[in-house]
Amino acid sequence: MDLTLSDEQQLLVENVRELMQRESWEAYFAECDKNHQYPQRWVKALCDLGFDLIMLPEEHGGLNLGLVTLTAVYEELGRWGAPTYVLYQLPCFDTILREGTPEQVDKVLAYVGTGQQIWNSACTEPGAGSDVGSLQTTYTRRDGKIYLNGHKTFITSSMHVPYLVIMARNADQPDQFTEFFVDMSLPGITKEPLDKLGLRMDSCSDIYLTDVELEEKDVFGTEGNGFRRGIADFDFERFLVAACDYGTALCAFEDAARYANQRVQFGKPIGRFQLNQLKFAEMAIRIDSMRNMLFETAWHYDTDGMTSASAAMCKYHCAKASFAVVDDAMQVMGGVAVAGDHRIQRIWRDLRVDRISGGTDEMMILTLAKGVLRQYQS
Amino acid sequence: MKVVACLKAAPEAEDIGTRPDRTLDLDKAAWKIGTYDLNTIEAARVLADETGGVAVGLSVGGPALASSKLRKDALSRGLDEFVVVSDEALADLDTFQTACVLRDALAGIDGVDLVLVGAGSSDVYAQQVGNELGALLGVATLNGVNKVTPAGDHLVVERPLEDAVQVIEVGLPAVLSLTSGINTPRIPGMRDVLAAGKRPTTEVSGLSAPAPSTDRTSLLAVEQVERAHRVVDGDTADVVAQLVDYLNSVGGAR
Repeated sequence: MDLTLSDEQQLLVENVRELMQRESWEAYFAECDKNHQYPQRWVKALCDLGFDLIMLPEEHGGLNLGLVTLTAVYEELGRWGAPTYVLYQLPCFDTILREGTPEQVDKVLAYVGTGQQIWNSACTEPGAGSDVGSLQTTYTRRDGKIYLNGHKTFITSSMHVPYLVIMARNADQPDQFTEFFVDMSLPGITKEPLDKLGLRMDSCSDIYLTDVELEEKDVFGTEGNGFRRGIADFDFERFLVAACDYGTALCAFEDAARYANQRVQFGKPIGRFQLNQLKFAEMAIRIDSMRNMLFETAWHYDTDGMTSASAAMCKYHCAKASFAVVDDAMQVMGGVAVAGDHRIQRIWRDLRVDRISGGTDEMMILTLAKGVLRQYQS
Repeated sequence: MKVVACLKAAPEAEDIGTRPDRTLDLDKAAWKIGTYDLNTIEAARVLADETGGVAVGLSVGGPALASSKLRKDALSRGLDEFVVVSDEALADLDTFQTACVLRDALAGIDGVDLVLVGAGSSDVYAQQVGNELGALLGVATLNGVNKVTPAGDHLVVERPLEDAVQVIEVGLPAVLSLTSGINTPRIPGMRDVLAAGKRPTTEVSGLSAPAPSTDRTSLLAVEQVERAHRVVDGDTADVVAQLVDYLNSVGGAR
């Protein structure tokens, strides 16, 4: 397996670096984080370079450059402290292209190049977190229309996306789960924003659905297939969370390493003290293992397919390892990390959330262990 | 209009190290297109687009120019084609040598209307090549050019002076050295990068440089001294006076 990046991949990464060097994006990110604001200007600048074309197939005007390329771009963006967690919709057109009607596909692809938020799926409910199957939102057919009723919670991006793909249970046949492509401007939809610890540049809200009137054409994918559709696409989302976490940890690691070489106590840089050296050894091992795991998995994705187990492995390992890295980095940086407004505070808050959002550590372990043991069933 | 943008590959400044004997360590430095040459490529692209012409890159240098990545980088920034004169013997030329080889290489490019040169190279920054090349070619030559506007068969060029802007009509062909503020170079998009490998690169061989016009006796990093930790404070005139007094007191100002 040769993971050397091609000339083109290296240039894409260098151009992303050039974009990040052109201005002090950190001030913008800090402001967006403080105000719970989507960093539209930054995402637009990335899309101007073609970020949202990386995974888009060529027949839809994309470049189809593969997941190794995307991972390399995430790595570079993460290194600069950029909030790659807001980007998850832009490499995920696959779901819409596979499941959507031509009308739904057109609606989503109309946003390519704009950098705006487009859509997300909505499963979670107050009584249905990891146990998606216990969701209570229903759909009922009445007079040739479909009506949605229920309450979704912790729905990422939902304050500002124009569309949500909402999972519901058939009121007349409760074991049937179906998704709907819902225009968020429809009557009967109420949004209530939630405050959260981290990942604040993306919104998170409660969604109340009261007799939201839909038509048959608003069904997303195949009726009754909602559960299976979601599970398949979770794998890709899990990988993206892992890549985001790794890049973000890299930023904290590099900040701490530069600081440790510079900060002098007891007459020498604090990086020369063995207790700090242990932290750098542990951080470097974690950074290295995340990097190798991600690029290897991405290579498989591009070559012969990514398994659910390896996606879960990436998410579980990177969420945990990146959080351990930023925790060590904070310890090295001491007061600078916890007082004032150093970006490492934001990174720490963001990475803590990722052990829960996009599938909890615990759910990753289930998927991962199941996949590992299955290989040894006779 | 056929516009030639001259560019030079130089080691990335932030990766250049200094050895204990003050010689420069280039081992870790990647060779990139000079920072100021990015302005030149951008200006060439814009002028070519404004006049329905072509933008050609031209570079003279050593083996660093053999890098396919560097070539694609240059092409992705807005060049239609790239002419490369790369030879071990051309690796470390002085400005006059460079100008002579550029002149010879330009003789092999048909129908050149305008040659653009950056504010300076990012390694040596001698700021001489444009003027020397213009003199060798015997065409209109200007430096410090901050704006170029095509006007039929000639150009209108602006040069910022101390407290005025000089506006000059320049006939073609011409050699112009640009300021670094003339434009903001575009960052190539992913599509540009992918297209770069498909654009033509022409290698020119057999060109040689005249003997060096300068004799370099050493190339050493500035000697590091302990910081004096002197702070001057006050309004501008006051600060200047304090600084002069201080420099005189340590024998630094003459």
